[in-house]
Amino acid sequence: MNPWAALNTLRTRIVMGEAALVVGLVVVAVIGIGALRTVRNTVTRELASLTAVSAANNRLVTTLFEQVRAAEQYLTDGSVEARNAFRSGGEAAHTYQRRLQALPELSESDRLVVTQVGVLQAEAEVLYSFAHAQQDLGRRGDAQSGARLARERATEMLRLVDLLSMSQSVGAEATANSLEQAATDREMLVWTVLAASVLIAVAIGVATLQSVERPLTRLAAAARRFGDGDLRPVALGRMPSELAELGEALDRLGGTLRTLVTEVVEESERIASAAEDLSAISEQLAATSGDVSTAMEEVSSGAQRQVAGLDESSAAAQTLHETTEDAGHVSGRVAELGASIHQLAETYGSDIDAAGNTLVELGNLVQRTARQVEQLDELSEPIYEFIDLIKQISSQTNLLALNAAIEAARAGERGVGFSVVAEEVRQLADTSAQAAERVSGTITTIRDHVSAMTETMAAGRAQARGVGTVSQGAAEALRQIVTSVREVETESRRVAGQAAQNLTAVDNITRALKSASQAAQSHASSSEEVAAAAQEQGASTEEMAAQAAVLNRAAEHLRSLVKAFRA
Amino acid sequence: MLLVMAGLTLAACGSSEEPILIGLAGPFSQQRAQSMQLAAQLAVSEINQQGGVRGRPLQLVVHDDSGMADIAVRVARTLHADPDVVAVVGHMNSGATLAAARVYNSGDNPLVEISPSASSPDLSDAGPYTFRVCPSDSIHGIQLAEWARDQLGANRVAILYENDAYGRGLRATFRNSFTERGGQIVSDDPFSNILPSFEPYLTRIRSRGGADVVLFAGARDGAEEMLRTLNMIRYQPAVLAGDGAAGIETADIDAEGVYVSLAYLHDQPGARNEAFTSAYRRIYGGQLPDHRGAGAYDAVYLLARAIESVGANRARVRDYLAGVGDETEPYDGVTGSIAFAANGDVVDRDVVIAIVRNKRLESVAR
Repeated sequence: MNPWAALNTLRTRIVMGEAALVVGLVVVAVIGIGALRTVRNTVTRELASLTAVSAANNRLVTTLFEQVRAAEQYLTDGSVEARNAFRSGGEAAHTYQRRLQALPELSESDRLVVTQVGVLQAEAEVLYSFAHAQQDLGRRGDAQSGARLARERATEMLRLVDLLSMSQSVGAEATANSLEQAATDREMLVWTVLAASVLIAVAIGVATLQSVERPLTRLAAAARRFGDGDLRPVALGRMPSELAELGEALDRLGGTLRTLVTEVVEESERIASAAEDLSAISEQLAATSGDVSTAMEEVSSGAQRQVAGLDESSAAAQTLHETTEDAGHVSGRVAELGASIHQLAETYGSDIDAAGNTLVELGNLVQRTARQVEQLDELSEPIYEFIDLIKQISSQTNLLALNAAIEAARAGERGVGFSVVAEEVRQLADTSAQAAERVSGTITTIRDHVSAMTETMAAGRAQARGVGTVSQGAAEALRQIVTSVREVETESRRVAGQAAQNLTAVDNITRALKSASQAAQSHASSSEEVAAAAQEQGASTEEMAAQAAVLNRAAEHLRSLVKAFRA
Repeated sequence: MLLVMAGLTLAACGSSEEPILIGLAGPFSQQRAQSMQLAAQLAVSEINQQGGVRGRPLQLVVHDDSGMADIAVRVARTLHADPDVVAVVGHMNSGATLAAARVYNSGDNPLVEISPSASSPDLSDAGPYTFRVCPSDSIHGIQLAEWARDQLGANRVAILYENDAYGRGLRATFRNSFTERGGQIVSDDPFSNILPSFEPYLTRIRSRGGADVVLFAGARDGAEEMLRTLNMIRYQPAVLAGDGAAGIETADIDAEGVYVSLAYLHDQPGARNEAFTSAYRRIYGGQLPDHRGAGAYDAVYLLARAIESVGANRARVRDYLAGVGDETEPYDGVTGSIAFAANGDVVDRDVVIAIVRNKRLESVAR
């Protein structure tokens, strides 16, 4: 099997085209939905991590500032509030540092900075506590020098905290950029896949339409020609296998019709010539029968004369002898002619039988052809089903595209590109539906031509049936001719036999005159019988001539019937 | 700095079976981790002499983490990635153990770690595969407060805490526990190596009516410096220190009478401990094990028992350990009875309060 044969069917092409479109759409939809989901998830995740980190960071910054402020305040006023604020600020700062460190979203570099902030804060806390102790002991100078050391750490710590905030905003920006890049990449992918699938679907669609429309036009023209009676072969060319099957059926139909018409023409020619021959022989036969009749009448009158006067017997016997001899000769000639007619009739009888058989075959052929034409009609059904399939897929695609458009509208700004795509897809589905409608129209035209052809075929079948009846009549006529001829032969033989007997009787006249009267009587009755037979033969011959004329008319009719076809 | 050593296996059983691998991770290039390594090796050789585990010898895969979090993470990744390693004894200090715990608890095939000595309260939530055989700092804080209030009868306590996770944690639990018992915190001051001097803190304590006890929550260096300052200003309050100050007894200053809370002390009572210390002393030339060594020794035996019972499978070993004290009997170790709470901490474990006498630590009878 040729692996490409499957590709050459309408079904495969249509299914492939639609499948390419549907697969493309599904891929686009999956990528699109996946992209939207990924972007949404990523945005949610990144926002959550940014929020978590920046919240912890903000609290840390606030408590650190509060602690430093309280430490400095205690150095100036030594108040219990400031001391407590310094302590609680420090504890809170440690807590927030630990929380920040525990966040998995914290970048490695930020983690290092937070660690460094922790170290500096611990040192600043120790140094401020030291300064506070000196202050409590009234050692202002030592307290101030301790505080200076603490401030160095605090300044560095607050600088690092600033850096941390900055790094976070940079991180947020980088996240936003990477999100945007990811969204752009996916959009490009969606556009590429969509364009590719639309191109493939359009290419397959156009190819399929062409491979349907062109062969259909050619088939329609061929069907129209056949319908008009032009049965010459048609070149249909390459086409999809379903339509090729249709074309082959049409071609077979044409071939069968051509053979049929040729054979009918030949047969009608043969029948006509047979009828002519038959009529010529009939005429000859009629003429001969007239001769026999005349001779027999003479015999009869001679016999009567013999019965009337035996006196004239010697002269009459002589005349009788001669006449009887003539009658024997004529009867022999009649027998010969009868045999020849018999032979002829038998020859033409078998010819006409053959012609009859051919006509029966012809009738069968026409019936078969009619069935093929009906099959042709049935063949267009699956094509209608394919067209329905296309329409169905189109309407589903249309619905899918509408849904996609609604989803795209729901996706808002991000879905704008996708909604344009969905509209394109919907229009493509409409175009498919229109194309299917057009194919459907063409199929209907073909069906019309096919049914016209079916009618023509029905007429042809009726005509063929007429021809059959005629040829059956001809055959019957011939059979009757043969029967008649056989009777003539029998009668001729009887005439010849009687003539021979007569001769013997005449020879014996001189020897047995007593029996002459009886012999003459029987002679006379025999002669009457011969005359009657001859008359009968004449009637048979006339009947035969009439049948030959019928045959000739039938042959003419047949010829006029087949003249309508051009083989 | 990653030091990889082939584990010491005294394959006395002569077994030709594939050894069962157990990781041992700690700062073994440092003096403070020596006892941990020696005790772990002692436990392994004892177990192998008795025929190993399920007929297979135990073998230690030793990695040095320098006591630092980042190196500990690298070590943990190596051990985690080796499917033949069934469990890890380590790490020694809290920072390294915490950092490594994130690695051990991750992936499709997490790895059990049993720390002999990491005491940070943060370790309680480190993950289902993280265990420790020592009490956490909060236990130290609570029991030091009990000791100060109930045994020393202290009313006024001054706290000096190292401004790091350990010092702040110990200080917080002590402070809460002590005030709950009706005691008074008269001062609460942070220090670190940046502190110019302890003198202002100590002078202020004395000038404000003094303290019955000074609680020192920090490492040994700070404790030494503080004791030196107390001597200098001739102020002699009772001094109570957390286990971070262990080692102060051998310092070149007068630390006599200082109380130190310890997870374990070699002279603590118990037949298992006596057998362990005498074997240790015999094999290692008269040295004595510290609490890290004792913890490592107990951890190796616990793992051997788990593998004997459920096979050399990481997840099953973890499930077995989680059921110790619950589904199975508590383990009677050299550090005491070991049972695990749901968070992997050892439950109902008392700390040992020791006192420095003649430059040595001795358990104080309660």
